[in-house]
Amino acid sequence: MEHDDDARAVILIVERDRSVRELQLFFLNKAGFVVEFVDDGQCALDRVRVDAPAVLITEILIPKIDGLTLCRLVRNDPATDQVPVIVFSILAAAARATEAGAAAFLRKPLVESTFLAAINGAMMNTNAVVDAR
Amino acid sequence: MTTSLTPLISDRRVHGREPAVDTTERLTSGNREADYILGGGFPANSINIIMGHPGSGKTIFAEQLIFENAAEDRPILYLTTLSEPLAKVVRYLQGFQFFDETKLGTQVVFEDVGGELAKSGPDALIPLLREAITTLSPKVIVIDSFKAVHDLAPSAADRRRMVYEMTALLTAYGTTAFLLGEYTEDDILLYPEFAVADGIVEMSRRRLGNRDERYFRVYKLRGSAYLEGAHAFRITRAGLDIYPRLVSPQLPEGYEPATERISTGVKGLDGMLDGGVWRGSTTLLAGPSGAGKTTIGLQFALEGARQGEPSLYMNFQENPSQLMRTIRNLGVDPDVAQAQGLDLVYASPVELQIDSIIVDMFRRIQQRRVRRLVIDALGDLASAATDPQRLHDYLYALVQHFAVSGITSILNFETTGNTIAGHGMQNAMSYLSDNVLLLTVDGEERTRRSLRVLKTRGSAHDTRVREVEISSAGLAVLG
Repeated sequence: MEHDDDARAVILIVERDRSVRELQLFFLNKAGFVVEFVDDGQCALDRVRVDAPAVLITEILIPKIDGLTLCRLVRNDPATDQVPVIVFSILAAAARATEAGAAAFLRKPLVESTFLAAINGAMMNTNAVVDAR
Repeated sequence: MTTSLTPLISDRRVHGREPAVDTTERLTSGNREADYILGGGFPANSINIIMGHPGSGKTIFAEQLIFENAAEDRPILYLTTLSEPLAKVVRYLQGFQFFDETKLGTQVVFEDVGGELAKSGPDALIPLLREAITTLSPKVIVIDSFKAVHDLAPSAADRRRMVYEMTALLTAYGTTAFLLGEYTEDDILLYPEFAVADGIVEMSRRRLGNRDERYFRVYKLRGSAYLEGAHAFRITRAGLDIYPRLVSPQLPEGYEPATERISTGVKGLDGMLDGGVWRGSTTLLAGPSGAGKTTIGLQFALEGARQGEPSLYMNFQENPSQLMRTIRNLGVDPDVAQAQGLDLVYASPVELQIDSIIVDMFRRIQQRRVRRLVIDALGDLASAATDPQRLHDYLYALVQHFAVSGITSILNFETTGNTIAGHGMQNAMSYLSDNVLLLTVDGEERTRRSLRVLKTRGSAHDTRVREVEISSAGLAVLG
């Protein structure tokens, strides 16, 4: 996939697991995305309010603001509600993620194909891809 | 193998509490019986250890698993390390029926990383795995042997760090990993990989005289119920032939013992038993060699066949040809008897494990809907069992299955004299059996045989010692 650097979509990820981060970075760079990581929910919220990413991906178990609360705050604020949120968690929380306004829920571990499909789906504003594993 | 194993293992004595609904995504082991033991297979995206001594069957088990799971969506990666060169693994793999050359290189990818590990040390495994994940996206990763990688680490701290990093990587990505190794039970407490493993399966081998007994055992399976205990297996060209341990059946709701009496086929014996034996009952028939146990057993089975009841005669001493001759001597055409439903089975207890004999017997019972069964004789079955407790558990479970299924059985037991006292197994079987009959042989100039009913459960019986005679018409009670 060819990308103009200026046009490359930014994916903001709240993730603390180093191995998961490494894989996310590898697969998303390969797919042509720019990836930014933050360590907690508050940093993510601040970052989204300053400069909205194309997609926000968050684990639920993160410090300061948990992933589901972060999702609600982003989706319920008219200033940020255009940012699709994907909840990507070790917890089986598909229903709670949907209730919080997530565009998709993915259960860990990461699988390249479903991960990219969820991001592309969220960016195209298609129906939520819910993986309830 | 076509029959359901449900009656065999309907009582799932499982580890821990079984969840009301098990929603765990599973990865098949490629072996139906192993999947049953594992509660449906290995949990997907888990890390599992397959441990066992060299030659115990763990590589074959893993190879069967990878070929059964191979598909076009995501490949399977088999890494050989420093235990066995790749060429050797693949050479012997080709002898198995599950091997499929068309899957090699695409759906199943073998890679030898032994050289890289020998050169750079165990830390090289992590980048090798990361590269494999990012380039192949493997659905399953097998590392054979992981213990060989582990042993390269210079210190316990290095081993622990390497295992931690590998676990973090394998947990982050959606893949199911199998770490094979020549571990012993003592290693479980010492090696860090056992602490992080979601599943631990042991393959063991025990020498018994001129043959080997092999066992499959699940030590640990996180978040999943499994069938506990040692399950015997054999290695065949089709892979592992596993015999899930027989456990006692749960009595169905509303279960009541049958109230129908059936004929033994022995003239005069039904009268001694107040009209025959209860359907679904078990009769222990004890006596010395030559007393008439086989004759009574055959008459019982032939009577069943005559009445249209499929009858199974499990025999460990005489082959079917010898038995057919004996049947002819009783004035019965064996072909006709077999057409009516008599199944004569010979199994050598010298060559087989008790588990395979019992499982084969149950498969026949299920396939043929057997109503009558004779085991001739329990002593031979005992010789196939290395563990008296295991034999006892099997026999107890068998008797329970027969009662629940309405299968009427005679278990022959050879004594060393005219008494049943002093035989440990007989003592155990006496209380398990509904009826106990004792045949004796006396006389110097003329052989005198007699029969006595020692016990009948839930029935009156003739308490006298009755003389019996064996003629071309079979064994009959005189007088």
